[in-house]
Amino acid sequence: MSTGGMVKAIFFTLLTLGFFFVIWIKNPFAHKEVYEVPEEVAGIIWDPKAVSEGRELFIQTCSSCHSVRYDGLYLLSLEAKPEWKKILRTMGKPIFEEREGKLRIKGYYLPRDVYETVAFQDLENLKASFGKVPPDLSTIYLARGPGYLYQFIMDPQKVLPGTFMPKLFLPEYDKEAPEKVAKIVAYLRSVSEPPPSEKVKRTVMGAVTVGYFLLMGFVLWFYRRRLLERMGLH
Amino acid sequence: MGLRGTYRERTVEYKVPKNLTFPYVFGVLALITFALQIISGTILVMYYKPVITHAFDSVNYTIMKEIDFGWLFRHIHAAGANFFLAIVYLHMFTGIYYNAYKKPRELVWIVGWLIYFTLLVTALTGYLLPWGQLSYWGTVVITEIPTSLADAPILKDFFGAIGETISMWMKGGYRLEDLALGRFFGLHVILLPLLLLGLVSIHLFLVRAAGISNPEGYEIDKEKEPEKVVPFHPYVTLKEGAIAMWYLALFFFFVFFYMHHFLPPDNFEPADPLKTPPHIAPEWYLLGFYEVFRSIPSKFWGFVAFNLILLLLLLLPFLDFSPIKSARRRPLFFVMFVVFVISCMALTILGTMSPTPTNAKLGMFFTALVFLFFLSLPVISVIEWGWYKTKGGQA
Ligand code: HEC
Ligand code: HEM
Repeated sequence: MSTGGMVKAIFFTLLTLGFFFVIWIKNPFAHKEVYEVPEEVAGIIWDPKAVSEGRELFIQTCSSCHSVRYDGLYLLSLEAKPEWKKILRTMGKPIFEEREGKLRIKGYYLPRDVYETVAFQDLENLKASFGKVPPDLSTIYLARGPGYLYQFIMDPQKVLPGTFMPKLFLPEYDKEAPEKVAKIVAYLRSVSEPPPSEKVKRTVMGAVTVGYFLLMGFVLWFYRRRLLERMGLH
Repeated sequence: MGLRGTYRERTVEYKVPKNLTFPYVFGVLALITFALQIISGTILVMYYKPVITHAFDSVNYTIMKEIDFGWLFRHIHAAGANFFLAIVYLHMFTGIYYNAYKKPRELVWIVGWLIYFTLLVTALTGYLLPWGQLSYWGTVVITEIPTSLADAPILKDFFGAIGETISMWMKGGYRLEDLALGRFFGLHVILLPLLLLGLVSIHLFLVRAAGISNPEGYEIDKEKEPEKVVPFHPYVTLKEGAIAMWYLALFFFFVFFYMHHFLPPDNFEPADPLKTPPHIAPEWYLLGFYEVFRSIPSKFWGFVAFNLILLLLLLLPFLDFSPIKSARRRPLFFVMFVVFVISCMALTILGTMSPTPTNAKLGMFFTALVFLFFLSLPVISVIEWGWYKTKGGQA
C-alpha cells in the first residue's frame, strides 16, 4: 500500500472506531446523572448472602405498598383475602428456587392482568392515598441501578423531590439503616440478575464462544495462506 | 453439469479483482447479521406476546428469566439490530467512497437503498415490541413527526391533514395502544423480514450480474487482464471467512459482556403513558435525521430536510454523473466525502446531546454541509467531464 493509502486507511479506521466508541460505549458529550454507592455498603449489595435477609426486610417494610411480581411477592393486604392463595395456585405459575440441592416453590408469578384485577381495590386504595399506584419493583434494579436505589430508599425526597414515597429508614434513630437498605438493594438486584452459579456459566459460555470464533478466524487465515502459496497466488 | 459443476462455476471459475480492500467485506457481514436476526427473532417470536398487558412481561419475565437461553436470544437480537444497522451504514459509506453506485451498478444501489429504508422501519417496529418506557416514548416521538407538516408556510390545512393522517395511520388511533402494538408486531415479524429477504436476494443477484466494483475505479476486463483477477474461492471466501469469524467474536463479546447500550436501562421500566421520561431520543441510527429535523427552527422545513436527505441518497447515481469512479482518483470528491462522513457523525452525536441553542446552530451547520456534499456532486462531475475530455475520453 502507498503511504497516502495507508494514511487514509488509518484515518477512516480511527474515525469509525471513535464514532462507535462515543455512540455505544462512553459518550462524553451527553450528560448523565450518576448515583454512587457508598463504599461502606457496596460489599453488601453484591453479597449473595445478604439476599434472603433483604427479602425479609422488603416484605416487612415495603410490601404494604410495592409488589415484586417476578419474585412472587404481592401486596400484604392481599393475604387477608380468603381466595388469594387459591388464585395464586390456579392462575399463577410457580417460581422455583434451589435450596440444599432441592427444588422448592418460592412463590407464584401472576400475569399482570390477573393480578391487577384481583388486587383492584387494594391498588385503588393506594392510589387514593399516594396519588399514584406505587410501581411493581420487579425490574427496577435494571432500570435505575444500585446507586440510585440506595440513595432513593435512604432519602426519597432528596433524589425525587415531591415524591409520595415515604422515608422509611431513619439513620438518626436506627444505626443499622444503611446496612438494611443495602440488603434490600441486594434483594432487588437478585430479582433482576441471574443467580451466581448461572452468572459463572454465562461468563464461561461467553469466553468459549468468543475464543472459538477468534481461533477459527486464525485457522482460516493460515489455511488460506498455505493454500494460496501452493496455488502460486500470493 | 451437476452440482459439482455449478459449484466450480460459481466459486472457483468466478473471478474477482485481486485488489479488493477491507471494506468490501461489509456486505458479507451484513448477510451474516441478517441470518442471526432471523434465527434469534424466530426463537423470540415463540414466547413474545403482542398485547400491551403482556408484552413487557413476556420479554422481561418469560424470555429473560423463564425460558432456558431466552436471555441469549434476546441479547443476540437486540445487539444484532444495532450491529446490522452499523454494518449497513459502513457498507453504504464504502459504496459511496468507491462510487459503486455508478454505471453499471445503479440498480444495485437503488435496491440497496430500499433495503436500508426497510431495515430502518424494521428496527423501528421492533423497538416498540418490549413495551418499555423507551419503546413507548421513542415511538410516540417518531409518530408525531409527520404532524409537523401542519407547520407548512402555505396550504396549512392540506399539509396538516396529510400529516395527521400519516401519524394516525402509524399509531392506529389517537394513542399508542394495542392496535399499534399489533400492527408493529405483524410488520416486524412477517412482512418486513420477507420484504428484506426478497430485496436482499435481488441485491445479491444484481451484484453478481454487474460484477464487483474496483477500488481503482475502472472495470477490469477479466479476459484481457487475467493477472488482475483471482478465483472467488478460495482467495476471497477464506479471507472473508476469517474476517467473518473475527466479526462474530466481537459480536458475541457484546452479547455476553456488554449489553448496556443495546438493552438500555430506561427500557426496563414498563411503558407508562402518563409519565414522560426526562430524555427521549430515537435510537442512534436515526439520530442524524432526528438532529436535522430538530435543529431547523421550522418543523415543516425540518421534516422536508431530512426526507430530502433520504431522497438525495437514493438519487446519488444521477447526481454524480462524472465518468470517473472511486475517491482514489477524484481529489475533489475525496474532500467532499470526508466532509460528508464527518457531518453525519457530528449530527448523530449532536442528537445525543440536549437541544441547546448552540447545539441547534451546530446542527444547522452540519446539515448545511450534508446538503453541500450532495449539491457539490453535479459540480464536481462537470469539472471532471472537462478533465475527461482533455485526456481524450479516458477515465
Ligand atoms: C407507604 C407506601 C410505600 C412504602 C411503604 C414504600 N414505598 Fe416505594 N414508592 C411509593 C410510592 C407512592 C412511589 C411512587 C413515587 C413517585 O413516582 O413519585 C414509590 C416508588 C418507589 C420506587 C421507584 C422510584 C422511581 O425512581 O421511580 C422505588 C425503587 C421504591 N419505591 C422502593 C421502595 C422500597 C425498597 C421500599 C421499602 C423499603 C418502599 N419503596 C416502600 C410508596 C411506598
Ligand atoms: C431483519 C432485521 C431485524 C431487525 C433490524 C430487528 C430489530 C429488532 C429490535 C431493535 C427489537 C427490540 C429489541 C429489544 O429491545 O429487546 C426487536 C425485537 C423483536 N424482534 Fe426483531 N428484528 C429483525 C428481525 C426479526 C425477525 C425476522 C423476527 C421474527 C421472525 C423478529 C422478532 C422479534 C421479536 C418477537 C421481538 C420482541 C422481543 C424483544 O424485544 O426482545 N425480528 N427486533
